[in-house]
Amino acid sequence: MRKVLRALALGAVLVFFLFPIFWIVLMSFQTNEQILRLPPSLLFTPTLANYRALISGHLVTAAGVLDITFLRNLGNSVLLSTASVLLSLLLGVPAAYAFARFRFRLGEDIAFTLLSFRFAPPLLVLLPLSLYFQDLGLNDTYAGLIWVYQLICLPLILWIVRGYFEDLSPDIEYAYQVDGHSWGQAFRRIALPLAGPGIAAAGLLAFIFAWNNFVFALILASADKQPVTVGALAFVTASGIQYGQIAAAIVLSILPTLALALYAQRWLVEGLSLGAVKG
Amino acid sequence: MDGKTRDIARRLIRGEIGRREALKAFAALGVTLGAAEIALNAAATEALAADFDWKKHKGTKLKLLLNKHPYADAMIADLDNFKALTGMEVSYDIFPEDVYFDKVTAALSARSAEYDVFMTGAYQTWQYGPAGWLVDFNDYLKDPSRTAPTYGWEDILPNLRASTAWSGVPGAPLGGPGAHQWAIPWGFELNNITYNRVIFDKLKLSPPRNMNELLEVAAKITRDAGGPYGIGVRGSRSWATIHPGFLSAYSNYGQRDFRIEGGKLKAAMNTPESKQFHKLWVEMIQQSGPKNWATYTWYQVGTDLGAGASGMIYDADILGYFMNGGDNREHGHLAYAAFAANPAAKGPTSNVWIWSLAMSNFSRNKDAGWFFIQWASGTDHLLFGARKRDMVNPVRQSIWNDAEFQERIKNGYPGYLEQYQATAPDAKIYFTPQPLFFNLTTEWAATLQRMVAREVGVDEGLDQLAESVNRQLRQAGIG
Repeated sequence: MRKVLRALALGAVLVFFLFPIFWIVLMSFQTNEQILRLPPSLLFTPTLANYRALISGHLVTAAGVLDITFLRNLGNSVLLSTASVLLSLLLGVPAAYAFARFRFRLGEDIAFTLLSFRFAPPLLVLLPLSLYFQDLGLNDTYAGLIWVYQLICLPLILWIVRGYFEDLSPDIEYAYQVDGHSWGQAFRRIALPLAGPGIAAAGLLAFIFAWNNFVFALILASADKQPVTVGALAFVTASGIQYGQIAAAIVLSILPTLALALYAQRWLVEGLSLGAVKG
Repeated sequence: MDGKTRDIARRLIRGEIGRREALKAFAALGVTLGAAEIALNAAATEALAADFDWKKHKGTKLKLLLNKHPYADAMIADLDNFKALTGMEVSYDIFPEDVYFDKVTAALSARSAEYDVFMTGAYQTWQYGPAGWLVDFNDYLKDPSRTAPTYGWEDILPNLRASTAWSGVPGAPLGGPGAHQWAIPWGFELNNITYNRVIFDKLKLSPPRNMNELLEVAAKITRDAGGPYGIGVRGSRSWATIHPGFLSAYSNYGQRDFRIEGGKLKAAMNTPESKQFHKLWVEMIQQSGPKNWATYTWYQVGTDLGAGASGMIYDADILGYFMNGGDNREHGHLAYAAFAANPAAKGPTSNVWIWSLAMSNFSRNKDAGWFFIQWASGTDHLLFGARKRDMVNPVRQSIWNDAEFQERIKNGYPGYLEQYQATAPDAKIYFTPQPLFFNLTTEWAATLQRMVAREVGVDEGLDQLAESVNRQLRQAGIG
């Protein structure tokens, strides 16, 4: 009886969380007319037209055939998110280690300043920044965008990874240093591998935040450098909403994050539970 | 293309022969329709080039900022003709409408020289113009060295020309003394009734002609149509809820948003007549509007009509036009009717939305940009858009008079031309231009939401709104 109740409860939770995704996947195989019929139905003849439109770049609407650049948007998202997270890891992990292990003048103030980048309303930062970017020639460049994306990724990685380093006992590193190794070697050989799951978790989280960002590229770049979050809006046109293509675009745009999360799941669970068992 | 084909095209463009005669001549030569069209476009380009030095800015690179819209699509489809005519290079960025104005505002406020020409609505120019971000086209229009003799500025509907010009003085009439021409009209929308003929035939209904009939017809559809609700109107907490059907009907009762006292603006939404009208509007939505009315924007209103979920809409005529095509369930079932909300009014008073072209004051290619705007808002391109694409409603009288365009609309969109003809004389922007337009109009929509949700009575809600609006006007120094 208890098992049955548990299965039922589990089923209810799964339906609650997965039904919207399931519905979106179904929508992605339907035409607009099928999606909008009243009442909605689970029975329909599936079509690949929505995926075909996204991949071919031609969208048929009430107002004729429109060119869409969804795959380019998807590529931009992959490039911007991946490069931003890699740069943040490169800068943030050593910084996080320094903040965790060493006490230095203004250390906490610097760490808090970096965190405060997360508090600032993006538009407040972006308008003055766009003036500087024009002068520096960074406007409408991938390099400029990756730099700005550090506002999202760097504070996240720094503060999460710092927590993981603080949870690791420094004694292991001291012991390693007593054997004649430098603190740099202790960082690379001891601290980094031990904090690996935490770094993976922080990296994934930063990737998701970067992936979901909308406003940075919108303000600072041209249409050809826009991420998928802006590109998906192209299906909401004056001549109607292309629900089928929106659903297909959502399915395609969650795939990279989903694949990354599934791949990193083992380390993620390890990383997330590491902090929980702190003695 | 042989010489004879070109010659026929040239004679047609010069008006020496009629369209039917030209078609016969093309057919006699065995010219296909596609080849004839190319010949005609080339002849039109030649004719344009004959009177004016279009090559003056040859080699200049222009960049456009465009909203994803059928007007932009029509322009892009014809862009090669502009390049051939002028020898200029043109690139463009297209952004979805949801984020388009954020992009425009950001580019202009950052004084970016990246974009030379961009699409805008007339209301937005009330913010951009006085801020010094836009070029005033008055000087260009008067200068024969910069404006082609064939441009035909006077051919653009007078109310639209006036609605895109403002002096920048809060409350001063659009197109009045000292007005700057901040934008050039490109395409526009009237607000009237689009209805589902199948539902109306089934229930033996005629399109409503005024508010009283609208309430009755909408209630009957909701009650008897077996699913669809009566009337689709916008309801989201946005200025865009006020400007289509609502303001058109409101103006038809002779009501204004503001009155001017001693050179200062005062809220005029809480007059007894305004309260009476608001009561009718609120009752209409409560009785026969969509269930989630408070979330309804252009998209939901249109989608419901196209999917057969609503019996009619009181919104932009071109929204009804778009929903009558494509893969909408109700395509081919929609019809159009003019609407004068006030039974005592002599005709409709439609507020208009005007998609226009404007030029950034930070552009480094202003003269070249003006060449582009002239071409894009010129007769040849707009005729191409109206005949071959969805560039409706045209802003030029000559295009409304064009037989081919009329025939196309008559065949696919019953009642569309008639609703235009009945509405055009008094179609214009009925808002009072002032710098707080977006904030105050959004607050009006929010008050409407509270009334429909019965959180506040109509009289009390409008008094509160007027008080709040007056306070904000005083704080801004204009009330």
